[in-house]
Amino acid sequence: MTHLRRYWLESLAVVVVAGSVARSFTVEADVVQGDVQRIMYVHVPSAWLAFLAFVVTMIGSVAWLRTRNRRWDRLAASSAEIGVVFTGLAILAGMIWARPVWGQFWTWEPRLVTTALLFFVYLGYLALRRAVIDPVQRAQRAAIMGIVAAVQIPIVYYSVDWWRSLHQASSRNSIDTPLRITLLLGVLAFTFVYAAILRRRLELARLEEELEVKRFEASPDVAGAGITAPSLARALQRD
Amino acid sequence: MTFWRQVYEIARKDLQVESRTAEVALMTAPFGAAALIMIPLAIGTDAPLLSDLGPGLYWIVVLLFGILVILRKSAVDGGPQRDLVRLLGIDPAARFAGATIATSLLVLLFEVALGPVLVALYNPDLRGWPWLFLILPLVAVGMGLLGTIAGGVTTSLGTRTSLTPLLVVPLALPLLLGATQAFEGLQLGGSIVPWLVLLVSVDLALAVSGVLASGPMEEAVT
Repeated sequence: MTHLRRYWLESLAVVVVAGSVARSFTVEADVVQGDVQRIMYVHVPSAWLAFLAFVVTMIGSVAWLRTRNRRWDRLAASSAEIGVVFTGLAILAGMIWARPVWGQFWTWEPRLVTTALLFFVYLGYLALRRAVIDPVQRAQRAAIMGIVAAVQIPIVYYSVDWWRSLHQASSRNSIDTPLRITLLLGVLAFTFVYAAILRRRLELARLEEELEVKRFEASPDVAGAGITAPSLARALQRD
Repeated sequence: MTFWRQVYEIARKDLQVESRTAEVALMTAPFGAAALIMIPLAIGTDAPLLSDLGPGLYWIVVLLFGILVILRKSAVDGGPQRDLVRLLGIDPAARFAGATIATSLLVLLFEVALGPVLVALYNPDLRGWPWLFLILPLVAVGMGLLGTIAGGVTTSLGTRTSLTPLLVVPLALPLLLGATQAFEGLQLGGSIVPWLVLLVSVDLALAVSGVLASGPMEEAVT
């Protein structure tokens, strides 16, 4: 019972994912594309999740700059990591689908290119985080990039409307009801997965910080440490 | 000192430092021109093909080699310089605006320097060329804004030279799209207004983000 209480979100995610997978394999196949269309039940929710994760990163970044509470920085970083993984999954699923339908894995069309670049934008964001050692500076610099990077999100989303291309525009109102329900169930399942991973990643990030502090406290003083206040200590005071 | 006076002085300082080294005019622009000369050797020297591809290649060179303008040594203030500017009470937003203006002017200089090379080597269709007086500055301002923001968050990092391009290039996508599509629109005789709107919107979004982030940016490198 204690375990269930502790892992309620993960348990819920597993149940919804199981339902979504079962539904994805049992719902009738698309008349034109056949079974290959079932990849959409992974591709579309992954893309949705990537957008959600990056919007959360932006919210976390703004909140950090306003409050300087480290919790927001952890949220921004954790969400960006998950977003990068799901952007990669969306691209991969899209490529697998494109091979039989378009005849090739990759085509130079706006949605694909802008999504690939979105992936690199947030890889850059994560690289920036790794490059800065001081936690306060890291949070500060990353927050600025987290906000600026969000400019790319509407460009990816509206790219199919702005440029005529192979990639279909939003079809949420034009597909048959059973397929739409399956798609929405997939979106719901992926959202639960995101929430569950984010929760664990936040916990891990907090533990990582505690470890960092313990290592810092255990390390011997360096010359000049008495004159220059260590930033890590400053960061902790602000938390 | 008024805000705009501060902006002017910061921009003047950056341009003065650049004028001493002439890094953009004597190093980056010839490097970009060399790239434009070498590309046909790799993709083929078919004249109609090069005429078609020329404008796109020009914008790619502007985008990728423009990073060198952003990363130029004169754009880097050391710790003592940053401290001095802070002690003088310069508004962070004025500092951001001044640095952006200087970088944008240098990117514009780079674009203008490569223009004749493009025309001479690729013979592109230049229908509607007066629009370039609007497109070139809009792209330059966008690059300047992105460069100043990315340069700000990577200041004093050991990985600055590798990290800044990774931050700037993917985010410069709307600038590249706006510029290339507007150019294509001119050649096809279509409307280029939506592409200009895209360029202006991106510039405005970056300007607002940059000004709002200028305070935290300065704090981040304290």
